[in-house]
Amino acid sequence: MSLAPQSYQLSDYLEKLPGTTFRKLYQQPSTAFAIFRRMLPALAKVFVQALLYMPSPMLLSELDVWVRAEGKMQRDRALSILRSLHIIQITPPGKDKPQELQLTTNFKNSLRLALEGGGTHSSFGVPSTLPVDPRIDIAHLDNYARKKWEDILHYVVNSVPVHGEGGGAGSGAGGPKASVKDLLLAGRLVERRSDTRGGVGITQAGFTFLLQEAGAQVWTLLLLWLEAADHSKAQQGQQAAAAESKPDSIDMLSFLFMLASLELGRAYDTDALTETRRNMLPALVDFGLIYIPREDTRQYFPTRLATTLTSGASALRSVSSGFAAATTNTSGDTSSLGTTAADAPSSKGFIIIETNYRVYAYTSSPLQIAVLALFTQLNMRFAGMVTGRLTRDSIRRAIGFGITADQIISYLAAHAHEQMVRAAAATGRPVLPPTVVDQIRLWQLENERMRTTAGFLFKDFDTPDEYAALCSYAEEIGVLVWKSDRRKMFFASKMEQLRDYLKSRKKAE
Amino acid sequence: MSTPGPATPRSLESDVMSDADDVDEDVDEAQKEREAMLAKEADDFVNKFTLGKRLQSDDKGKELRRYDAATGFFRKRDYSQIPLKPNHQQCPLWIDPENFTIILERFHPAAQKATDFLTTIAEPRSRPTFLHEYVLTMHSLYAAVSVGLRPKDIIDTLDRFLKTPLPPAVRMKIEETTKKYGKVKLVLKKNKYYVESVDAKILQILLKDEVIGALRVHGSDTTSFAPTMGGLVIPGTQNAAGVHQANLKQQDKKSDEEQGATASEGDLFATLNEEEDDDDKEAVHAFEILDNSVETVQKRCLDIGFPILEEYDFRNDDVNPNLEIDLRPNTQIRPYQEKSLSKMFGNGRAKSGIIVLPCGAGKTLVGITAACTIKKGVIVLCTSSMSVQQWRQEFLKWSNINPDDIAIFTAESKNKFSSSTGIIVTTYSMVTNSRERSHDSKKMMDFLRGREWGLMLLDEVHVVPAEMFRRVISSIKSHSKLGLTATLLREDDKISDLNFLIGPKLYEANWMELSQQGHIAKVQCAEVWCPMPTEFYDQYLRADGRMKRTLYAMNPRKFQACQYLINYHEKRGDKIIVFSDELYSLKQYALKLKKVFIYGGTSQSERMHVLENFQHNPDVNTLFLSKIGDTSLDLPEATCLIQISSHFGSRRQEAQRLGRILRAKRRNDEGFNAFFYSLVSKDTQEMYYSSKRQAFLVDQGYAFKVITQLANIEQTPDLAFSTPQEMRELLQRTLVDNDKGVEEDVETDDLFGKVGGGGGRRKKGNGGLAGVRRMAGTLGELSGGQDMAYIEQNKAANKALKKPKKGENQSAFFKKLQREKEKAKQATRAAK
Amino acid sequence: MVRAIRGVLIECEPAIKSIIVHLDSANNDIIIEDLDEQHLVVKENMVHVLKQKLEDRLKETYRPEEPLADSD
Repeated sequence: MSLAPQSYQLSDYLEKLPGTTFRKLYQQPSTAFAIFRRMLPALAKVFVQALLYMPSPMLLSELDVWVRAEGKMQRDRALSILRSLHIIQITPPGKDKPQELQLTTNFKNSLRLALEGGGTHSSFGVPSTLPVDPRIDIAHLDNYARKKWEDILHYVVNSVPVHGEGGGAGSGAGGPKASVKDLLLAGRLVERRSDTRGGVGITQAGFTFLLQEAGAQVWTLLLLWLEAADHSKAQQGQQAAAAESKPDSIDMLSFLFMLASLELGRAYDTDALTETRRNMLPALVDFGLIYIPREDTRQYFPTRLATTLTSGASALRSVSSGFAAATTNTSGDTSSLGTTAADAPSSKGFIIIETNYRVYAYTSSPLQIAVLALFTQLNMRFAGMVTGRLTRDSIRRAIGFGITADQIISYLAAHAHEQMVRAAAATGRPVLPPTVVDQIRLWQLENERMRTTAGFLFKDFDTPDEYAALCSYAEEIGVLVWKSDRRKMFFASKMEQLRDYLKSRKKAE
Repeated sequence: MSTPGPATPRSLESDVMSDADDVDEDVDEAQKEREAMLAKEADDFVNKFTLGKRLQSDDKGKELRRYDAATGFFRKRDYSQIPLKPNHQQCPLWIDPENFTIILERFHPAAQKATDFLTTIAEPRSRPTFLHEYVLTMHSLYAAVSVGLRPKDIIDTLDRFLKTPLPPAVRMKIEETTKKYGKVKLVLKKNKYYVESVDAKILQILLKDEVIGALRVHGSDTTSFAPTMGGLVIPGTQNAAGVHQANLKQQDKKSDEEQGATASEGDLFATLNEEEDDDDKEAVHAFEILDNSVETVQKRCLDIGFPILEEYDFRNDDVNPNLEIDLRPNTQIRPYQEKSLSKMFGNGRAKSGIIVLPCGAGKTLVGITAACTIKKGVIVLCTSSMSVQQWRQEFLKWSNINPDDIAIFTAESKNKFSSSTGIIVTTYSMVTNSRERSHDSKKMMDFLRGREWGLMLLDEVHVVPAEMFRRVISSIKSHSKLGLTATLLREDDKISDLNFLIGPKLYEANWMELSQQGHIAKVQCAEVWCPMPTEFYDQYLRADGRMKRTLYAMNPRKFQACQYLINYHEKRGDKIIVFSDELYSLKQYALKLKKVFIYGGTSQSERMHVLENFQHNPDVNTLFLSKIGDTSLDLPEATCLIQISSHFGSRRQEAQRLGRILRAKRRNDEGFNAFFYSLVSKDTQEMYYSSKRQAFLVDQGYAFKVITQLANIEQTPDLAFSTPQEMRELLQRTLVDNDKGVEEDVETDDLFGKVGGGGGRRKKGNGGLAGVRRMAGTLGELSGGQDMAYIEQNKAANKALKKPKKGENQSAFFKKLQREKEKAKQATRAAK
Repeated sequence: MVRAIRGVLIECEPAIKSIIVHLDSANNDIIIEDLDEQHLVVKENMVHVLKQKLEDRLKETYRPEEPLADSD
């Protein structure tokens, strides 16, 4: 099987952070609040609320009173999430003392502050007191964010090598800023390649990225950005001890959490930001997370991309699809059936796939069409609808680029048209036709029918002992690929160490 | 790669009529000439279409459009700039203005209406669950016009259903096409041929034409009103019950009206000019032509771009005697059968054409109802003498026809009907095979040729070679022709010929819909992948085409899969048919599994016996069939079908075979499913053929599940070839048995061919080999002990059935069978 | 004397191996060592050609894509 696609989710990222980082993060009430609000399952929230004003640690065993026996699984899950996010501390099990449970200090203090609204902290952003241009309304911000984000997605989509005359348009005009392109390159969503129009080619991670939900896409990019910042800081750190002007990833992350807590459509004061955070603004503008009017750079407006950042995994789909509905509606064509913002505030699925592999997608969005084109042989396009077919070639081409059958299937399932969903519900069958799903997998299997490993075949040993010794050494150093004790042969991926080993063995004899 | 190897006999391709290639001998010159003419006409007819098409695409090809970043994905097929109508949400259709593909939202509230309309004007291409595709073609528009739709109706209705305004190119296409078609009709009234048109201008053109003008019977010109359904009731429909009696009496009155407006030539032109813009009245103008000039006029009309539609005004035909026939009182035909017939009789006359219904959906009843509507002499052409028998029985079952009025013309039965008119049921080969015809047959042929038939029913039109049609149609005169078939698929692409020779497709049913409504069985389809053991596969890679096919049929893992499935389904209480095109494997499988089988070489009585057992004997649940069972075999007991070898990529065969289980008696049982398995050897050409074969059914909405692993197959009791040793032996034997010569069994597709099908061939001198065609050696020449042994076994396998019947101690089962037969006989007699 | 031969190990289903053996039988220029039912070692420089030939060979077992033109 292929390598796990390189995709980041916020929770994965956070769980890898050390406790010290969390302590810093939780100094910000906005961060504590954002994480509380959006990253915790319901039961975990209940625990936090209960613990928040408790004067002293609580016995772990008391929790059992709160949770019914059959809810033990959920309890354990909630506790494990709370621990991994460093929200609670549990004393280690010991013989003399029962286990105790309490909130970590910074989290507790910040969350209290956030809830009480106390303190003078500018953690939740300082609204701008300057007059606001009335033209900058939510629609304007949505439009702006969509444009920025689509430019990025288009850049990735269009890095698919072009076959025939299909696709590949629009990469020249406009597109994302050079810094964003560099980031995509650094994050290996695309790589430099000569056989494509834009000089870059999509990678497997790029495909994964494209097939993600909008919200997940944003985080993927932001986390790549954080990593890049860490990386460059580490490099600078080696040269000059003080590189404080570079924002560190913790502060960056705090800022993102703060943005997530801001109100869509409201103007905030750039002057109230720390210098580190002000330095982040240009990049956030390029991503489309914030909008800064050209005339007045003292104001910034968070866009929907920013304010929905910490939507929980389950909430994410609906929120991001609200955004997706906005992104769908590109050419000002509000007429396509059931897919536009106008008649479908929460985006419905738009793809129909038939048992005879024909694909019908209710969309006008060039971006959605381009994503479909990654694995579909497109045929005709009407206002609001495109037709095509899944073929062996179209699927194998996608697989050739590293996209997996499962990714395609889950994309199709996630975007299945409501008619399919309804029909499936009525008949108690799966949403996607099982035969089509099977076939996509079978097409992928076709690609994996022959595995090749370069290396060396070792044969003609003088003695069985010699074979046994060298073979087990090969296994020890992890270069053994195949062996046959009967035929006294083995295949190894490397030979240098084996040669040396053999020499020393001969010498010893 | 995909083409069959050189060892493939041609007759395999032309399927049913394995004697198709010797048709041309011994045919008199005049006949040949007529056929040649018909052939050329058909070609011209076909060419016109392709030419028009090419011109059209050339014009459009030059344009290059680019609307946005996604346009490039669609080559030239981005029509997104055609704006949607404001009320597009109420409309279920899109159309592509270049190739005229129509896409229909099946989930739209207006879908049913739109579907009815589309089946009339367009060719169905894809009918799965949510979106259906149709295409407007010349043929489909021609058919639409011929069932009475006016171009304006087509354009307006299409416009109403479309989400976008009707693209001008579509309007043009419809106008262009319909301008030429359906404007001129040839009508036989009182045994006089009239050329008829509602468009006076066209009639003027024809009259001025040097050829046609000269053939006009002077003083015959008439103007009358367009025919309407008026009073005609198709029997078996809802209307039929009451109206029927009253209607019969009115018929005579009408005929007088038409003769009213006789005028001189000069006057006619004047009349035509006056009325030329007045379409609303639907006046019909006509002139008579000489009897013997019909073909000339037909041909000339085609040449000058006005192909003639044939219509039969049977209600006003008082020259040909009426046939005493009606549907039995409580016979009700199904809605789709009614729909298809209303296309045929839409304006009160009989139009010629083809009705396409899946197997098991009651094609025969449609034909019988048509006969009961026309009530004139009928000739029925079938593909086998077995279906001749079946057709006659069905006629007796559904209609009140006097048994003496329905006669059979086959090799062993050459009866005429006694009255002035009646029904003759025969086979295509009986009426086309002119060689070595016996005295009786000659006399019979003269009888057939000497009459005017009201209706010619052509069964299974898709399997009959075009030349054969040509011969039938040019030698037997009929006023109307109705072709019946399950699928118009022909791998040889001769469908256009059919449209010319018989008429347009009048109706094509939707398989999925019929199955949802319970008219045909629901079927689960699966393709089972059987990997080949290495040694088999090594041989396969080295083998030639012929041997390759034998090897992938004899793949022991396929054998095991077959055994497993038979076990499984017999336990469920299914009746199973196993199909194999490959005779060697057919026999090997059947013998090893101890199952009965029928192939071309099975004697007539043995076939009957095996079939009876399969139908009634609870111990005989699996029947192996060669491709002689593909068509014309009615086994409503069968509920499961397994294919172990089939005819290359024939989509038609796949559809036909599926048809064998669509009729399943138990289809309306709660949750009943029939099963269709295709066993294919992995990594062989069979995989390619298999998916090609499925294409048609898949576009009808059937889904083939790929099964790569049969659960617990290794636990099957007595699993065959379960050791490498046995597999090796099987391989050796297969190689030896099949390596002796390039033997090829070729059979007639006629299940009962030995007796009826090849009347002529039976006397060819190869007496002993009747029914099995000799190519380059015969089974008998495959000497060697094993072979002999298997021939012995062969006998034994089917013989096992016979023993009890012959012996004194006949089982209760057979006694019961016997009693039932007696009862049936009595019932038939009573019906007479 | 023990030898180490440079090559590419191929791991595949028996059917694929059969095809490779069959392809090799023409010129004996592909296989270095036939290991067992599912393994063999082939020459490094032939891997590309082999993949191509194998694909060609397997192509005849798949239905070619029919053109989407629905206009016949």
